[in-house]
Amino acid sequence: MGLLNILKKMKKDEKEARILMLGLDNAGKTTILKTLSQEDISHIMPTQGFNIKSLVQEGFKLNVWDIGGQKTIRPYWSNYFESSDALVYVIDSSDRRRLEESGQELRELLAEDKLGGIPLLVFANKQDLLQATPADEIAAALDLASISDRTWTIQACSAKDGTGLEDGMQWLIGVINEKA
Amino acid sequence: MNMRDALTGEVMWESGEWDCDLDEMEAQVPREILSCRQVSRELNFSSVEVMTSLRLVQSVIFKGEPLEEWNFHFGFVIPNSTNTWQQTIEAAEEEEMLPAELLSGNVVIETTFLDGDCPIMTQRVRIWYV
Repeated sequence: MGLLNILKKMKKDEKEARILMLGLDNAGKTTILKTLSQEDISHIMPTQGFNIKSLVQEGFKLNVWDIGGQKTIRPYWSNYFESSDALVYVIDSSDRRRLEESGQELRELLAEDKLGGIPLLVFANKQDLLQATPADEIAAALDLASISDRTWTIQACSAKDGTGLEDGMQWLIGVINEKA
Repeated sequence: MNMRDALTGEVMWESGEWDCDLDEMEAQVPREILSCRQVSRELNFSSVEVMTSLRLVQSVIFKGEPLEEWNFHFGFVIPNSTNTWQQTIEAAEEEEMLPAELLSGNVVIETTFLDGDCPIMTQRVRIWYV
């Protein structure tokens, strides 16, 4: 497991890829990144800026940008759109109360010119929790089926136990690879 | 700054506050890190000020000669933010690896932060493999 191992399967003619990871606060963006690297997730604090993971594999560079999701930080998201190759949008599936807010933020992102046409991976996170809404219901609530200007998928996952994370990233890197 | 075995996520070395007045810091890193196949190096930094074009140049210097250099462009930095940059690198093949005895005390990691072309700070860490 791990991003570096996923990267090994890529073709090497594309020099660099930038993945932007966004979502509301407490969605689990940082935990996803840490779990993908087998790191301890017991002391994660709300991100007050960005966390970047850079991986280099035989000259190919992958940069994953995780930007804080708090309301005060969201106005700064647009500073990180430029030259992104893919968008990962993380949703706390157990937070029914804020599902509408999360969907609204996603719609605004999809309307951004700078993010136009790039592949979208939606992580329906926290599926380990009993009260989690299943991924297909989230897809319906957010009307993901109406997205027609890009390749997208929704992946059920648990950042806590790692379920679904590699599947999602593998899909995404595969799609970036095809485009290259 | 910390360093991990990137395959297990285990922290091999960690250092908290950097003293910017010191010309050079020393780090005692367990020599086992040299046998890790993948190593990650993480920098954690905060900024009160907004920056529009932050970048970093990091060099690994062996006996005064730069061995490797990385450039990373962060771009925009949110005011009052705390940020991390973690870089995962694959180790050289074992036969190409210099022995710990030779490396220890002779390797310096130099990190310079710049906003555009304007240098903000440089930090040098001398590595001892123990």
